Parts: sequence; C-alpha cells; structure tokens
Amino acid sequence: MKVFVAVKRTLDYAVKVRVKADKSAVDLANVKMSMNPFCEIACEEAVRLKEKKVAKEVIAVTVGPKAAQETLRTALAMGADRGIHVVTDMRHDTELQPLAVAKVLQALGAKESPDMYILGKQSIDGDNNQTGQMLAGLMDAPIAAFASEVSVDGDKVHVTREIDGGLQKIDLGLPAVVTADLRLNEPRYATLPNIMKAKKKKIEEIKAEDLGLSLEPHVQYTSVEDPPVRQAGIKVESVDEVISKLKETGVL
Amino acid sequence: MHPLVRDLYKRLLTVGKEYPQGLDWVKSKAKPWIMQNAALTDEVDIKKKVAEGRFWVREMQSVIKLKKYRTLKKRYY
Repeated sequence: MKVFVAVKRTLDYAVKVRVKADKSAVDLANVKMSMNPFCEIACEEAVRLKEKKVAKEVIAVTVGPKAAQETLRTALAMGADRGIHVVTDMRHDTELQPLAVAKVLQALGAKESPDMYILGKQSIDGDNNQTGQMLAGLMDAPIAAFASEVSVDGDKVHVTREIDGGLQKIDLGLPAVVTADLRLNEPRYATLPNIMKAKKKKIEEIKAEDLGLSLEPHVQYTSVEDPPVRQAGIKVESVDEVISKLKETGVL
Repeated sequence: MHPLVRDLYKRLLTVGKEYPQGLDWVKSKAKPWIMQNAALTDEVDIKKKVAEGRFWVREMQSVIKLKKYRTLKKRYY
C-alpha cells in the first residue's frame, strides 16, 4: 500500500503573530517557520502504518516556496520514504488556497496512484479545514475527517472520527482520504541521526506550472486584523466598593 | 573532544532550538555541565555521562511535545 502525506510549511506554533502594517496579511519576514502540527500528526500516522507493515511506501508531498523543502526534510526525518515538492511562489497562507492544493494532490495522485491520502485536518495559518474534503470531492473518494484512530484491515480502513458530542466509527474502501485530528497520535521527534539520514533521501521537484493546473485564488482577503486587546482591570480599595462594582455590572 | 560527547552536544543543540526557554538557555546549562565532566578519562564513565545527557535530550523532547499539544488544545478545543 502506498500512502501520500501532505505536509505544509506554516508559522511556528509558538511564534507571536504580527499583522502587516497595511493589514493585507500576516508578516512572514524573519519569523520562525516549521511544519504544521496537524501535518506532523498525519505524517506520524503514515509512518506508524509503515512500521506495522501495512504501508509499503510513504510519500510526503508539499506545495510551497523553495524554503518548504526544509519542511519536507522534517517529514523525511520522521520516516517518510521520499518527497515530492511542488514549487510555487504563492504565499502559502493567503494566495495558495485549499482548492488549488487539492487539485495538485489529485494530479500527483493520478501519477503515483496511492491507496491512502493522510492529511492534517487544517493548517494553523489559514485555518481553512477544507483541503482533505475538497480532495475527496475531486477524486470522488471516501473521506474520514477528524480521525482519532485509524486501522487498516485488508482493503478496508476502519476510522474512528471525532464528531460533536462523541465518536463515530466508519469503514472506508480504498483509495481513501483521512484527515488527522489532534488526538490521533503523538508525533515523534525527528532526532539528529534521522535528520542526517533524511538528507540522503530523494526529493522530486515539480514546478506548479508543469502540472497544467490553474492555482489562482478564488477567495480574496480583504483585511487581516489583530484580535481585540484585553482591557486592563482596576484595583478596588474596600469590600463596599467591590459590592457596588458588582451591582453596577449586574452580577449581584 | 570525545566523539560521543560531540554527538551529544549536537543533539542538545538540535533539540534546544525548539525548547521553550530557547537555545541560549539550553547552551548555558549544557556547556558548564560538559566542562564539569571534561576531566573524565575512563571510557565507561564517559559513556555513563553521555547516557545521562541523552536522557536529558529525551526529556526536553517530551517537554516540547507537551507544550505543543497544550497550545493546540487551548487554541482549537
């Protein structure tokens, strides 16, 4: 079984996000970038399938600028066998949109014919949560979004999904799309020896134009705003004051 | 420098880059600890200390994992 893992290069989860002065987008200059945490979880799941001898080959795919190769290397260090890098100069949080990525994945899938696509449920920069769903729609394949448990049995995939107010168990036929939720697994840490080994693994670079797809954005970002700043509280002197303040706000 | 110690220091640096308190903090702890044990000559002693160092690397990895999980849980659930 061949498994496709889509990984995305995003802002690091720990970075404090700044909005550009013209409010067009988030400032990406001189900010630490890393792999999207949900993609890490997806990658870990694929590697685990390989370790269970269910999957024969794990292929990591990324769409993004030249620098996204680092992210691909991280995926290879986690245990993917080879990488495919679709190079484009589009900004990956605003211009490069889920439909475009889904189309790219479909085109690559047609070439490699994997049996399973494992994706993160959403990226922490765009927060769209659409790519997996759109990919399944384009391919007319079954999808299990928000997976919290995945097991493969012959040509069936058993997935436990996290839905509002409980868990849902579903069986999918292959090829299937699975998107990873937070509790699917604990992604491993890429250790130094594995990082060194990953440098020797093969990465195939494809220009986005060569796939013959139009990747233009369909959604326009009008403005990006900071969340409202929390108002400072006040210090009260006495108990009476506390009570009167509470009465003012209508709590008492 | 003993090759194992050099390897250990590299491991500490790779994991230190993502450590919540930052690479400088990790360096400021790791360097004195290594220098403190610089006088060791017995191979077995060195290996013991390296094993200890690797244990700390693993501990730091789990701290990073925990922090990542908690931040995401706070943000999305």
